[in-house]
Amino acid sequence: MEPLETFIVESTVPEEGDAYKSIVADIITELVLGGAIGRIKVRVRPEDSLFLMAIILRGSQPTVKVSDMGSVDVTNHITKEITISIEQEKYLPQLLEQLWAKYGRTGVRQPERKTLILTAENLDEEVEYLRNLVVADPQKTLQSRLVEMAIRATPEGFRVRYHSMDKHVFVFAATEDILKKEWIQEAQDIATELQEDE
Amino acid sequence: MAAVLEPYIYVGGIHQHTLITELLEDLGGYLIQKVPAATEVTLVMLIPREDVHLIEELGKKLLGKLERAPLTGTEIAVVSPTLASHHLPHSACDVAEFMRRGGANTNMIGLARGMGRRVSLSDNYERKLINEHDLAVFSFGTFADCIKNKKPKLLEGVTVPKIVAGGPLNVKTEEVAGADLYVGGIGRVAHRMRKPGELSSLDVLLEKVVEVVEKMREDLAKDPLAVLPPRVMKEIHEQIPEIFDVFSPAPVTLQLDGLRVKLPYDEFHERVENLEFDEGVRLSDMAVITKSRMKNYILVKIKRESEVGFTA
Repeated sequence: MEPLETFIVESTVPEEGDAYKSIVADIITELVLGGAIGRIKVRVRPEDSLFLMAIILRGSQPTVKVSDMGSVDVTNHITKEITISIEQEKYLPQLLEQLWAKYGRTGVRQPERKTLILTAENLDEEVEYLRNLVVADPQKTLQSRLVEMAIRATPEGFRVRYHSMDKHVFVFAATEDILKKEWIQEAQDIATELQEDE
Repeated sequence: MAAVLEPYIYVGGIHQHTLITELLEDLGGYLIQKVPAATEVTLVMLIPREDVHLIEELGKKLLGKLERAPLTGTEIAVVSPTLASHHLPHSACDVAEFMRRGGANTNMIGLARGMGRRVSLSDNYERKLINEHDLAVFSFGTFADCIKNKKPKLLEGVTVPKIVAGGPLNVKTEEVAGADLYVGGIGRVAHRMRKPGELSSLDVLLEKVVEVVEKMREDLAKDPLAVLPPRVMKEIHEQIPEIFDVFSPAPVTLQLDGLRVKLPYDEFHERVENLEFDEGVRLSDMAVITKSRMKNYILVKIKRESEVGFTA
C-alpha cells in the first residue's frame, strides 16, 4: 500500500468536501502521519451534525528492541561487566530511562556517548534480557497521534465521539447529538469498503 | 469649521521620522499610533485634507511610504467561535491582520461556547463586549448549512454592524440572518492564508469593511459628534500624562464615535470626565464615560451635536 493512496473527503456539497480535504491534509502533515496512513476516507454531513472517518494504516511498524539499536556483549567476566554499544542513537533516551529505573543511575556507566556499561550477577541471563528489552513502540505513539488527528479534524462542537482501533483499521465517528448505531455502522462500512480496494 | 481629516499610514525609517510628526502637529493633524519596530516605524495619523501633499513630499524625502488607511480610527472586533485550534489562529488572525493593514485597531474575541451547531451559544457579557466596538467581523467555517441555519444565533444581540466571513462562495448576505454582509472564501483553514485565492478573498473582505465604515462615517456626518475622538485623545495626552506609562500598543484606542482609554477605571475615570477643553467645557458634558467590559478600561462614547447643542 502506498502512503495516502486513497484520500477522499465527502460532504453534502462537493466544494465543501474539497475545502475540508485541505484541512485534513494540513493536519496529517502537521502530525507527520503521511507515511503511516495508507487509505483514508472522511464523510461530513453538516445537516446531521455528523463526521465519519475511516483510516487503513500501512503495515504495522515493529517494536524496537535493544538488539535493533546496538549490540549487547559481556566484556569482562571477572568484574561481571556487560557493554551495550549503540549504533542507532534515536531511542537512546528511552533506553537510558528504562535502565536507570532498573539499575539505578549509578549502576549504568556511560563513558562515552554510545557506550553503556552495567554490572550483573547472572551474566548470560542478563544479556539475554537486555537484548530483548523493548525500548520503543512506534505503534503506541501512532495511536495517540491518530486520536489527536481525529480530534483536530472533527468540527469542534462534535463532542460525542466513537472510535475503534482494530489492528490497522481506525474507525471514528463524531456528532454533537446522540450517536446513532447506524452512523457507527456507516463508519465501519466505509472502513470495509476501503479494505476491499486491496 | 474644522478641517476635514484624512486617514493615512506612513511606513519608513526611524531616522528623522520626528520631522513627520512635527509637521503633522504644525498642520493640525493627529498622530494616532506610533509603532517602532527595529529600524522601521509605522505612523498611523489623521492629516488635514489640503495638507496631505506636504506630508507626502516630506515622506518621499525620507524614503518612506505614505498610504491611505481608510479604517484608521476604528476599533474592530474579530470574533471566533472559540479559542481552540479549530478556529484559531488561522483565518481569524489573518482577517485581523488585514483589518490592521487598513489602519484599524483590532481585538480578537474568542467566545466561550460558540462551537458546534445546536450547542453554540454566546454570553451576555460577550455580546456587550462586542457591542463596545465599531463593528464585528465573525469568522465562521466551511459549511454553508452551518452558516445559514445554525451560526446566525451568535449574531443575535449584537447591535453593531456584523460582517460574516465564511468558506462557501455561493452564500448570499440575505441568507445569513442578522448579518449586514457576508464575504466568502475565508473559511476554516489549518495553515496561514497565503495562497493567491485566499489573499484576494481577504482583500475583498477589507474592501467591503471599508465600504461599511464609509457608510457609518456618512451617517455620523449627518449629525456630527460633539467633539472629534482624536481631539479627546490629544487632550488626554496633555492632561493625563500617566497614559504614557501604559504598555499597550494603543493606550488610547479611537473608535468612530468614541474612544477606549486603557487606564484603570476606578483610579482615572474622574480625571477623564473632567478633561477640560479650550471652549470651557468638560468631557463629561459631551460624552458618556463608563467602565469598559474589556479589562478595567475606560470607555468614552461621545454624544451627538443634536443632543449636546454645541460642538467643541
